[in-house]
Amino acid sequence: MTEATLAVVLGALFAFGTYLVLRRDVVRVVWGVTIISQAANAYLITMGDIAGSVPVLSHHGPPFTGTTDPLVQALVLTAIVIGFGTTAFALALTYRVYEEHGTIDLEEL
Amino acid sequence: MNQFVIAPLLVALCTAILTLLTRRFGRAQRALSVLGGVGYVAAVAWLVASVYPSGGPAVYHLGDWVAPYGIVLVADSLSAFMLAIAAVVTLPALVYATRHISAFGQQVSFHPLFHLMVVGVTGSFLTGDVFNLFVWFEVMLLSSYVLVVFYSGPEQTTATLRYVVLNLVGSAVMLLAIGGLYAATGTLNMADVAHRLANAQQYGVHVTPVLGLTALLFAVFMLKAGAVPFHWWVPDAYAAAPAPVSAVLAGVVKKVGVYAVTRLYFTVFAAAPLPDLALPGDTVLGFFGVVLLAIAVLSMLFGGLAAVGQRDLDRLLAYSSIGQVGFILAALAAAALRPEFAAVGITAALVYSLTHALAKSLLFLLSGVVEDAAGTRRLGDLGGLARRSPVVAGSFLVGGLGLVGIPPLVGFFGKFLVFDALAQTDVVVGLAAALVGAILTVAYVSGAWNRGFWGEPSAAVDGWDADPVQVACVVALAVGVVAAGVGFNPILEFARAGADAALDRAAYITSVLERGGDAA
Repeated sequence: MTEATLAVVLGALFAFGTYLVLRRDVVRVVWGVTIISQAANAYLITMGDIAGSVPVLSHHGPPFTGTTDPLVQALVLTAIVIGFGTTAFALALTYRVYEEHGTIDLEEL
Repeated sequence: MNQFVIAPLLVALCTAILTLLTRRFGRAQRALSVLGGVGYVAAVAWLVASVYPSGGPAVYHLGDWVAPYGIVLVADSLSAFMLAIAAVVTLPALVYATRHISAFGQQVSFHPLFHLMVVGVTGSFLTGDVFNLFVWFEVMLLSSYVLVVFYSGPEQTTATLRYVVLNLVGSAVMLLAIGGLYAATGTLNMADVAHRLANAQQYGVHVTPVLGLTALLFAVFMLKAGAVPFHWWVPDAYAAAPAPVSAVLAGVVKKVGVYAVTRLYFTVFAAAPLPDLALPGDTVLGFFGVVLLAIAVLSMLFGGLAAVGQRDLDRLLAYSSIGQVGFILAALAAAALRPEFAAVGITAALVYSLTHALAKSLLFLLSGVVEDAAGTRRLGDLGGLARRSPVVAGSFLVGGLGLVGIPPLVGFFGKFLVFDALAQTDVVVGLAAALVGAILTVAYVSGAWNRGFWGEPSAAVDGWDADPVQVACVVALAVGVVAAGVGFNPILEFARAGADAALDRAAYITSVLERGGDAA
């Protein structure tokens, strides 16, 4: 069940991100790219085996046997930090594009 | 411990930090930056001297964590060759930049960003971990975004927007591929991936998804290499960026894509058995050989044709570098299609990478000199440069003929080896396209020469005022193109060692995982 929900959510996120990237408004394009990279992060989490496992610190709560793979979570943290930087830059660039061209409509650039 | 492996990275990183700290003291900052460039060359020379003659890969375990659990940096002859290319291009570009970029621009951000880009490039060449490759790519790209938009005019912002959005989508795709690869193989360490793919049954690895995921990765690397059909950000970005940045983008950053293809597809993924699918090619590598060949043929033809029609020197050079990367990929395609000639093909690709890095960065710097001295780089407004400044014109001739491939320049050997590899492997389509590409190269180089350098000096050229240091950097690279051609034998030996290192999977796996016997 978890897998199916996740798959649907991921698919929807990628579709929505792609839809936004294809808009004319630069801000929407940046949003689209951000959503696509967040979807990629969420997808990365699912690579560490979702079903029947628990967070890394399994001694919090009842004694669990299986633990999730901590490596993918470390990878996602790295990817999120990089995503912060690139999103900030893309937004600053959008502002600069507006200053230089007086518009953020891609058709008019 | 092999400290020399991490030395180039540390030198570039420390220089980036120091130039950031000293940004209030202009002269000191420039001195530190150039000193850092010299230090980088020295560190790379140390690495080359330690790795190349001994042959075997040297491994640096970060934090002393054992592979495959910790992160490793691996230096073998292939990485050493690519780092040597990076070193010979970055130093002249850096010295050139101290005289080309405005004092304010240098003070604010140029030097730290430039060195951070070098950090990213160096890390990409040295890393032995697939996820780390992604991280180093991001380090390199983030600084290159800012360097492309450096002048922040209308042209620059539009070009950078395109470059950024395309690369951000590329990064997301790369992350998807790497995540999938981790789920499929259970490891991110390149040597471990190679080892597990070679013994797929034993480790329960399904090869079919791996093939699809590597195809995703392949698209990202072609994007970085600026090959057709992922080429359309190249001309705008190269024309928008300051001349020393274009030189490094075309000379070095483009080669990171070439290196990643060579390293991953020949060393890491080649061991995988072929899944039972109706695909062209007999092996996983053979499948990518077919794809590479198609991309190479399209790049050579498109880049050459588009360059012939250009009226702006920077755009001409940018389109030319799409065509030139096609030659490199054609040699790799030949290597992938016929495994028995793999070493010949990779050697050709490496030599051509060096040729292109030297000649193209020379020409981009020269284009910057022309723009600074004459106020324009439109070929229509230039003319008679040969009479006004024989030194600059002579350097252009050396760089241009280097691209064309006239002996004794290093370009001749690059072209010769690529043609030789394509002929030996009977890749007729590639051979025909390379021939047309070579003729187109002659056409656009002679076209640029006729319009810009021959004839009566134009009004723009009459006001010629070139900076001697800038000209010296261009001349140094021109001397490099000649010297590398005259003393070609050691370079050929080095490139051969690089090709052998790319193909010697057993040595790579054994030295990274430090286990004997059961390596693939």
